[in-house]
Amino acid sequence: MAIITRDTKIGEEFHGKIKIPSEPRVYAFSGGSFLEPGWPKKNIHTSLEFAKECGLETRAISGTQTMGYIVELMIDLFGEGWLSGGKMNIKFIKPVDVGTKLIAKAVVKSKEKLNDKVRFILDIWCERDDGTKVAVGTAEYQI
Amino acid sequence: MKFTNLMKKKGEKLEPYEFLVTPEFNQQYLFAVEDFHPRYWDEKYGQPIVHPSLLLNQSNATRSPGFCLPPGVAAIHTQDETQFINPGKVGKRFKVTWEIVEEYDKRGRHYQVIDTVVVDEDGTEILRRRAHVTYFQGKGGE
Repeated sequence: MAIITRDTKIGEEFHGKIKIPSEPRVYAFSGGSFLEPGWPKKNIHTSLEFAKECGLETRAISGTQTMGYIVELMIDLFGEGWLSGGKMNIKFIKPVDVGTKLIAKAVVKSKEKLNDKVRFILDIWCERDDGTKVAVGTAEYQI
Repeated sequence: MKFTNLMKKKGEKLEPYEFLVTPEFNQQYLFAVEDFHPRYWDEKYGQPIVHPSLLLNQSNATRSPGFCLPPGVAAIHTQDETQFINPGKVGKRFKVTWEIVEEYDKRGRHYQVIDTVVVDEDGTEILRRRAHVTYFQGKGGE
């Protein structure tokens, strides 16, 4: 059941669940299918050596893993309908080390009546447990 | 030779990628992102839905069989505009297509903007993305 309704007010803030992209979860996300020979595939997310060869200081988790945490929050807020009309625009502003505690958050930025629907615009972000934002953007959905 | 000379350019398309989402493959992503909602695995809720993070990850341009960077060069995702159009269903095959629609340089780095479309085996559009990607080159890529 959706949490945001037409009565939800501008400025209301929502939090997702705490996530910890631990080593096994990063391998599961970025290492390719478990069935692939040589799993997990070496890349900038699964291998520090590979990341350093590419000039990176650390092996950050994939931006799409962070997006997954935000999408989960959007579906919690708007329901499964989010997958049939939800839009989001996200910038990845800080790398995220494996094992970092993360939480997706959202605040209602605006709402606008459009004929028989209400369009919500949310500021969305994902932050570390010290409050540092790692991804920021906006989400839009009509209910 | 600069590695950017080896890359596809604005207006060019990457080789499409197709993949099947089995229940096991979907559950791999449920584990990865710690989201075990039954809509993704329990048939009591109808045909299980593909976790959106799987579709996002599998539609990164690096999945294209034709995507190739020299050793020591990595693609870094910096921004993503995503439209969710329809939920994907577990058990279906999906096809991803990409087109490079823009290139720009910022703070000494080269960026590409890549439009992405994911459709299922019935031709139903599942999602559209516009991803901004830049490239890092280490000593191994020189």
